Amino acid sequence: MKPLFTIKAGGPTSWAVRVVCAAALVYVLLWIPTSGSNSLIDTATTALTLMGAALSLNLLLGFTGQISLGHSAFFGIGAYTTAVCVTRWGWSPLKTLPIAFAVAFVVGALVSLPALRIKGVYLALVTLTLGVVFPQFIKWPKIEWLTGGSRGLTDTGFKFDKNNRTFELFGWNPWGNLRGENVKPFYFWIAVVIVLIIYLICRGLVKSRVGRSLVAIRDNSTAAAVMGVNLALTKGLVFGLSAAMCALPGSLTAMKGTVTPDTALLTVIGSITFLIVMVVGGAGTLWGPIIGAIVYQFITEKTGDWVEPDKIPSLLRPFFSWSKTPPAAGIFGLSLVVLMFVAPLGLAGFWKQVVGRVVAVVPKPAGSTTLEPTAPSDGIPTWQPEEPLAEQ
Amino acid sequence: MELFLQRLVDGLSEGSVYALIALGIVIIYRGTGHLNFAQGEMALFSTFVVYQFGEWGIPIGIAVIMGMAVGFTLGAVTEVAIVRPISKKSPFAVFIVTIGLFQLLNWVDGAIWGGQQLPNTGVGSKQVRFPSLFPNNPTDFVTIFGANIKIQSLGVIALVGVLTVALFAIFNHTRLGLAMRAVAANGESAKLVGIRTGRVLMASWGLAAAIGALGGVVFAGISTNVNLGLMFTVFIYASAAATLGGFDSPGGAVVGGLSIGLIQNMAAGYAPKWVGQEMKVGVAFLVILGVLLFRPSGLFGTSRVERV
Repeated sequence: MKPLFTIKAGGPTSWAVRVVCAAALVYVLLWIPTSGSNSLIDTATTALTLMGAALSLNLLLGFTGQISLGHSAFFGIGAYTTAVCVTRWGWSPLKTLPIAFAVAFVVGALVSLPALRIKGVYLALVTLTLGVVFPQFIKWPKIEWLTGGSRGLTDTGFKFDKNNRTFELFGWNPWGNLRGENVKPFYFWIAVVIVLIIYLICRGLVKSRVGRSLVAIRDNSTAAAVMGVNLALTKGLVFGLSAAMCALPGSLTAMKGTVTPDTALLTVIGSITFLIVMVVGGAGTLWGPIIGAIVYQFITEKTGDWVEPDKIPSLLRPFFSWSKTPPAAGIFGLSLVVLMFVAPLGLAGFWKQVVGRVVAVVPKPAGSTTLEPTAPSDGIPTWQPEEPLAEQ
Repeated sequence: MELFLQRLVDGLSEGSVYALIALGIVIIYRGTGHLNFAQGEMALFSTFVVYQFGEWGIPIGIAVIMGMAVGFTLGAVTEVAIVRPISKKSPFAVFIVTIGLFQLLNWVDGAIWGGQQLPNTGVGSKQVRFPSLFPNNPTDFVTIFGANIKIQSLGVIALVGVLTVALFAIFNHTRLGLAMRAVAANGESAKLVGIRTGRVLMASWGLAAAIGALGGVVFAGISTNVNLGLMFTVFIYASAAATLGGFDSPGGAVVGGLSIGLIQNMAAGYAPKWVGQEMKVGVAFLVILGVLLFRPSGLFGTSRVERV
């Protein structure tokens, strides 16, 4: 079927679409902390946290093809680095972000050393074990003096008091009141900045020469090596970087006040959540984790009280009223299975397909500065044989 | 000496459970080359089914056999309906699907039986504790060299021993076993000589899930706290066992399972400060990492040669 419209990449229509989308995004980002309810701001912050973690997992898994089920550990490293620096040494929480980044980078790079030898599902197994070990390690009596053991750490976040400045702009302060009366927007903005940083790093990498070598490693690592990609160095750096980025949203959770090793996102459940967010949104696409996190958080919130049958919308009641627990986990477990059949590139890939039916984007001729379509990889496709590279 | 004997028996009985789950992992891996991350959750589902049979007043022995039948069906259906069609796409898709099944099955358990610990007298359980296959009262122990050994532990070890012998009889002396070995050795050639590989794979998944069901029931019987997270760590230990023994060696899985059980129990017992209850799972991590790094084929597995 021929698409109805054609747009030239970089042409005026393409720019108009971009400007409208950017304006809508900015509007939503400003609307949530100023006019949204407290619970909406909380939800948005959680969604952004998941977004950051899933984006960093996506760089490793979606683009480089290295399976990790241990990202909850890196997330936890971020949380505990912040918590320890704040409680033990009295640092300001924001200053711990670079430290968390650095610590997780080193740990991630160390983990990547065995990952150079261990491939595919075996790597998944090793990292899964890492995810299971991490909370146990935190509870380990030998380091209880540092981590507080299974009780965790409290007062790990900001101290809001009356002397704080409020940063008002003509009586308008979308970042909340830092004197301790309305601090939720403040966390929201930290989350936005963290996600923005992670997104820009991912985008910068993926759309550059490095990104091509990552995809080459994913699709055929032997061919990549032959083409001159330094496998060990690239894999190690990406693993480290992915771990480091995942630590940032982890830090944010610590900044909210308390950290315990049994917090769901710090256990292996966190790893699986990040994976779900990434796959539902679209592995190997830049926008996938962002869409995935919003969808995930939205459905989880909406179905949170479906344990009581009268809270379920009447159309759906017969399907869910028997469940004794909220159905979100089941919905996403099922959607992983179904998505692999119908849309292996998740919602983002599905959206691209649908839009592709209606609008065709004509890329600039080769030699221009924008990205031209990547040639399909030859040889044995080990990963998503249908589409070599989703993002253009 | 008493402590050593006690730890030995405890380690072996826990190790037996790991061996059962590891056997399931290995049977599936041999047939299809997939690592089934949902193995533990399949076992947990069947375990809860057995619990439900107990609620209906079915004696535990029959309930376990019925639970294994349920497990067999679950495994076989999973293979035919989900894993076989998806494995034509890519190994990555299979990995995601097993994670999806993991999540889905865990949710189903919670949705049917509630997120609470079982048996839960608060929600109207008739059973005071999880049905155990063997006498499990505080007085049910035998004294050997001054050590009080629970009859339950001995029973578990004996049961797993018998089951292992039976399994090896199936592998080595039946047509199904021969077909399974043929498919494991070379799927294409097996097809060419007229083996219905589809049915064999279906049977493999079913068998793996049925063995897992038994493992789950036994583990639920020896652990005090039966909840939705029961199988997380068991799966880790079982994977460690499969890794240690070699992913394509059923014998290795049994040896690996017993060794992992022994190693972690001895380590936790003799080094309470360094390992203790917290870092038991760290031992499994080191085993998996060490074996995969230095001897990826495990103790008894065949090393694979990769062609570029």
